[in-house]
Amino acid sequence: MTAVAVAPRSGWASSVLRLRAGDSLVSSWAAVGLFFLLTVFALAARAIAPFDAVQPTGGPRLGIMVQGHILGTDQVGRDLLSRILLGLQTSWLTALLIVAIGLFIGMVIGTTAGTFGGWVDTLLMRVTDMFLSLPSTLVAVAVAASLGPSLVNTVIAISIVWWPYYARIIRGEIRSWAARPHVEAARMAGVSWPRIMVKHLIPGVIPTAIVTASLDVGAVVLTLASLSFLGLGQPAPAPELGADTAKSLVELLSSWWIPVLPGVAVMILSLTANLAGDGIRKIFQAKG
Amino acid sequence: MNQLLWKKIGLRLATLVGILFTLTILLFVLEEISGFDPAAVKVGANASPEAIQAERERMGLNDPILVRYVRYIGGVVQGDLGTSYRTVHAITDDIAMYLPASIEIVGFAFVLAVLGASFFAISSQLRWPGTSLVRGAMFVAYTTPGFLLALFGILLFYRTWKVFPASGRISDPDALNGPTGFFTIDALLAGRPDLFADVVSHLVLPGIALAAIPAVAIGRVLRSSLSQTITSDYIRTAQMKGLSEWRVLTRHVVRNSLPATLSMLGLQVGFMFSGLIVVEKVFSYPGIGLYMANALGVADFPAISGGTLVLGTIYVVSNTVVDFLQSAADPRVELA
Repeated sequence: MTAVAVAPRSGWASSVLRLRAGDSLVSSWAAVGLFFLLTVFALAARAIAPFDAVQPTGGPRLGIMVQGHILGTDQVGRDLLSRILLGLQTSWLTALLIVAIGLFIGMVIGTTAGTFGGWVDTLLMRVTDMFLSLPSTLVAVAVAASLGPSLVNTVIAISIVWWPYYARIIRGEIRSWAARPHVEAARMAGVSWPRIMVKHLIPGVIPTAIVTASLDVGAVVLTLASLSFLGLGQPAPAPELGADTAKSLVELLSSWWIPVLPGVAVMILSLTANLAGDGIRKIFQAKG
Repeated sequence: MNQLLWKKIGLRLATLVGILFTLTILLFVLEEISGFDPAAVKVGANASPEAIQAERERMGLNDPILVRYVRYIGGVVQGDLGTSYRTVHAITDDIAMYLPASIEIVGFAFVLAVLGASFFAISSQLRWPGTSLVRGAMFVAYTTPGFLLALFGILLFYRTWKVFPASGRISDPDALNGPTGFFTIDALLAGRPDLFADVVSHLVLPGIALAAIPAVAIGRVLRSSLSQTITSDYIRTAQMKGLSEWRVLTRHVVRNSLPATLSMLGLQVGFMFSGLIVVEKVFSYPGIGLYMANALGVADFPAISGGTLVLGTIYVVSNTVVDFLQSAADPRVELA
């Protein structure tokens, strides 16, 4: 959102120097570290979870730290921490997958449109703009509803509304790179289009793509949680952060932790993603 | 109003129609994919396959897809969105009944979002004490899922402090039978300030839950465009030639900060309409969002599709209006 600072062009060495000089990049790297930590954590969720996440392992609505259940149990006696850990795994890995799919489609469409220009560009960007003008979450809800509730369908639904944004940005970057002298020179030298695309255009776009995508993971996490909350994720009894909150809304006034804690897990994911996105943006800016 | 401008407006309106057209195609295709069979619903659960087939034939569901799409779009244009599987009413009637409640809550949340955004932008522009605290709070609000914010709101303001109600639209649902369906307006027309206060108090918690993320998003854009404007040369010129602070602020600073903020505003209205389904579900607030959430629970696809079409249309139209406003605020902005 803030204006892009014009940093002098320099390599990784200077960002390390800045790090030593106590610049704000320390917190940026820390945020990126947190991102990877969370990913490792999500991958290992099944091993960390103290109890079975699907079967009841204690009395219903046990409080925090009661009978070895660190976060208590839900309305049917399932260990809340285990459910949250596995739900966190699903949400985090799915969000990363959706961003990757969106980025891939956006990369293909944006690169094609940006490289070839002309009617290809006009056609692809018209379609992209059509998608961008529709309310994305609403359309994702409608798509997921028509396909039926399942994790794969949720991924499809959100991916469908997520790529146009990347396609727009990547297409713009490609066009600005295509106008640079080294690309012109390559074209003059008779280098084939696929080679120019792979060797000269796509590498230039990658920093922008990474920054855009990393700033976006948090938004995907929240969209995913909304769809799950509306019952469009994995069917019960699979652990799902949004759905677990939705199903235990009636418990709010008596046992608040049952609906609140899965939501807090969503918040942690989205907070980490946003911090890391900001960090990656700053690191790339400093790198120039 | 010159001819060029009219041409631009015409083009933008044509784009609007194109987008809405795309939306109907999308929803029609999704309804095909969903496998929802209105004929099977109509003849009942115990009907034989032959009876269902006969009903499909009678309803024209076996016609070629293009014929059915034309029939669908013909219905949409005349305000016929089909029948809800859950409520067994015409979806248009259902939506007409729930729409005022949703417009009321989105309008309220919109005001909250603009106030919050202004507070955020101005406080950090003037470097008020505690700005970094405000910034931190805004960042956390931005990353909190709407339903969690709603739950915190209910726990604090309903359970602990008992200041705001946590569900519904009004304490006594039979109190207002109003001509407009907008309870705030109806209460005022009926000369009942007590009911007006009651309706507004029901709006507060869902309104905050809806407004939080848009407030931060708008506030960020407003802040960065304000700080860009204030440091620009023409502001110094305006100050140097002796314009009053107020005039510099209103004529130069605010006006030049508006376009970017306006387009964010338009996007965020769309965000609110999407958030409506979740927030109305948490607060059992009887609007289109709750209607759609209930429809989702029983795979009532016609109702979901109808709700999406209506909310989507409002979104696309409001963004078109924003484009016009933006172009009016800054003639350099291209329409279409």
